[in-house]
Amino acid sequence: MSRFLEVRALTKRWSAEVTVGPVSLPIDRGEVLALLGPSGSGKTTLLRLLAGFETPDAGDVVVDGESVARLPPARRRFGMVFQHYALFPHLDVGENVAFGLTGAGRRETGAVEAKVGEALTLVDLAGFERRKVQELSGGQQQRVALARALAPEPRVLLLDEPLSNLDPSLRERTRRELRALIQRLGITTVFVTHEQEEAFALADRIAVLNRGHLDQLGSPEDLYERPATLFSATFVGRANVVRGAAARALGGSNGEALVIRPERLRFVPAAEGTGTPVLAGTVVERRYVGASAFFLVDPDDGERIEVEAAPGAARAGERVRVAALSVHRFPEAG
Amino acid sequence: MSIPDRRPGIMSVALTLLLAWIVVYPILLVAGQAVSGAALADFFGRAGEWRALWASLWISVVSVGLAAAVGVPLALLFEWFEFPGRKTLGSLIALPAVLPPFVGVIAFLFLYGESGFAARAVQVAFGMAESPWRLQGPGAILLVHAYSMYVYFYLLTRAGLAKLDWSMLEAAQALGAGRWATFTRVTLPLLRPSLAGAALLTFMTALGSFSAPYVFGGGFRVMTTQIVASKLNGEMRLAMVETLALALVALAGLAVLRRVEGTDLLVALGKGAAPRRRVLRSAGARATAAIAGWAFAVVLLLPHLTLLLVSLVPYGTWTTQTVPPVLSLANYARLVAEPQRLRPLLNSTWMAAASTAVAVLLALGAGWLAVRRRVRLRPVIESLLALPWALPGTVFAIALATAFSVRAPSALRWVLVGTAVILPLAYLVRGLPLTSRAILAGFRQLDPALDEAAASLGAGVWETFRRVTLPQLRPALAAGASLAFVAALGDFVTSIVLYTYDTRPIAIEILSSLRLNELGVAAAFGVVLMVASATVLAIGARR
Repeated sequence: MSRFLEVRALTKRWSAEVTVGPVSLPIDRGEVLALLGPSGSGKTTLLRLLAGFETPDAGDVVVDGESVARLPPARRRFGMVFQHYALFPHLDVGENVAFGLTGAGRRETGAVEAKVGEALTLVDLAGFERRKVQELSGGQQQRVALARALAPEPRVLLLDEPLSNLDPSLRERTRRELRALIQRLGITTVFVTHEQEEAFALADRIAVLNRGHLDQLGSPEDLYERPATLFSATFVGRANVVRGAAARALGGSNGEALVIRPERLRFVPAAEGTGTPVLAGTVVERRYVGASAFFLVDPDDGERIEVEAAPGAARAGERVRVAALSVHRFPEAG
Repeated sequence: MSIPDRRPGIMSVALTLLLAWIVVYPILLVAGQAVSGAALADFFGRAGEWRALWASLWISVVSVGLAAAVGVPLALLFEWFEFPGRKTLGSLIALPAVLPPFVGVIAFLFLYGESGFAARAVQVAFGMAESPWRLQGPGAILLVHAYSMYVYFYLLTRAGLAKLDWSMLEAAQALGAGRWATFTRVTLPLLRPSLAGAALLTFMTALGSFSAPYVFGGGFRVMTTQIVASKLNGEMRLAMVETLALALVALAGLAVLRRVEGTDLLVALGKGAAPRRRVLRSAGARATAAIAGWAFAVVLLLPHLTLLLVSLVPYGTWTTQTVPPVLSLANYARLVAEPQRLRPLLNSTWMAAASTAVAVLLALGAGWLAVRRRVRLRPVIESLLALPWALPGTVFAIALATAFSVRAPSALRWVLVGTAVILPLAYLVRGLPLTSRAILAGFRQLDPALDEAAASLGAGVWETFRRVTLPQLRPALAAGASLAFVAALGDFVTSIVLYTYDTRPIAIEILSSLRLNELGVAAAFGVVLMVASATVLAIGARR
């Protein structure tokens, strides 16, 4: 089965200890894929291998049946938005966007101007052609970078931490706009992020990377509901890791670590008694977030866990019993 | 499966060999011939040689002290106090930095020399029969050095003070340190790298100084004048030994001062709040600061004004009067009208332009290889480019004269001495540190992501270089090129060793005009050089 963009056993060996890959990712036409992982997980290396800024030691990248792993970045027709945007400071907004349209020797003709206008309209910056890039706000610079990458009509769009340089108030809105734009263009997109929330909001599927290896590939729901590894379970979404005696108290067997989402834990009323395994402990902190509250519970045996429940479910200092609605089980060593 | 790109490696080897051939090889030839002959024994046997070497050394050390004594207080005055005219004067007194040293020396001669403006005024005022003083010997040399080299201390101290975080000084005061204790225990230690940098610059310049000792030395010889004298006497072997000795002293001085310099703490600590200038409240203090500033400026600029005045005096019209009776542009007209005077102007211009163009190209190649590609030979290339800065011009002049006066293609030597190639080659070697320092710094400031952005937009290596790298390097290119061009345009020290009549540059023509007592023409040449230098540097400094 062949997909539009195929990453095949791509490998980069920085040194004997530090290796990224082999990673294989089949990506459909028009799909949005997030590379999610902590710093040092190899997600940026993977993106740079796709763009062609690094040469792989093994493996291949195939677009629409064409192998591009040996092509220089200039001939891959991949658009890229850099983390710090990398706008050319000596060119104005229009010239930046036109850069990929006017090759060596070619002048800025009417056709180019029209395309630049189109690209800027796409990102809601129509009429900004003659502005200096230094005069723009961070959000505007990000949109110029996006317009510049899209103008030459690339086959694949690559984004390096697209929202990390924006302040939080702007991030939410930009994320929505970016999502809408990508969907409208239907362009195959790969982006790097270290924030789970960002990956969930933008991506159709997420590749979780850990120490240079692909940990799990799946939809946001897959990752949250059916984490394949202890790492994926804890890196994606809020999670309590319960081990040892506490794990056994909540229904785990020997040598098993349980991962439980805070909202899948509940307080068991004193009246209710038998049947369910429960963990006894004391509420040490209550953090109110509106619709619900997070309760930090110090079990009589084991590490503290977080329970999400109705704001009035318990008070700080109260003795409680906690039960799990659903758990993910992993071998203790993992 | 990845195929490493071999081209940068091959290019870096080629560049290293080329630089080694023009920068190091001639010096090695001189060193080789110096130690293998009777001249070595001659050198050790003659008291005059040791005296000259010692003179070079102590003149340089005292020059550092004098330049600091003038430059540091000036910097404090202009950086810390606000008074009328501060900005204008502040940039005016940095002027000697941009003028060719030889022009400064003749300007000094016209003002303070025994038949100069000042001497005449004193002579007339007191009705003396003879000139009241003779400007000659070590004192005169030191005076010229202090006058022209304070600029290094002035500029570097001001730059250091501007970087100083005011809150650090306030912290010291909050901890109970008085004003003086704050200055000695916080300000000065933080300024150490700036001061050491200025000391290094002054020491190296003074050690290589040729114009001042040549014009004002009289019987007093330093190593640079000693070398040129030996060469003119036909004692080439002895000149080589002397050259080697001077080169060794220069390298030793560099090593010692580099150790003192240390790391720049201010850079390490990052940017602080810009210091506020103290506005002097009392009218008396403000007047004192203003007067001191103006007095300094006038004294420091007077020689150049004198030069301008002398250039307006036609030949033979100024004899015994205190003030010249006739002023006209006749001398400037003669520069253009008389072919033998126009020649040096054209010579200097094309030779400076050619050497600068090549120096810029080499620096661009070096920057791309060393900073961009980070080739393995990076440290070697950078040292080769910087080396000519560490050695006096006279050393390179003798080295090139030695290397390229023999035809031996198998040893990569050809006869270039006496041809039109030798002076541009010498200027090129001397200009390399200037262009490469600016251009390599320019390369280091570039964001590699911009190249990647260009590549992702379809631009190849050459197109990226042309459309992204070069436009951003423009300020660095302009700065480096203008410095090298001005240095070559006013060069005296290497020219006097290597020129021929047909290739004589401006500085040599000034010298022969002085010998023929054509003071007006000499001064006019000086003014042209001064204006051209200032203009080129102003263009180069534009952002």
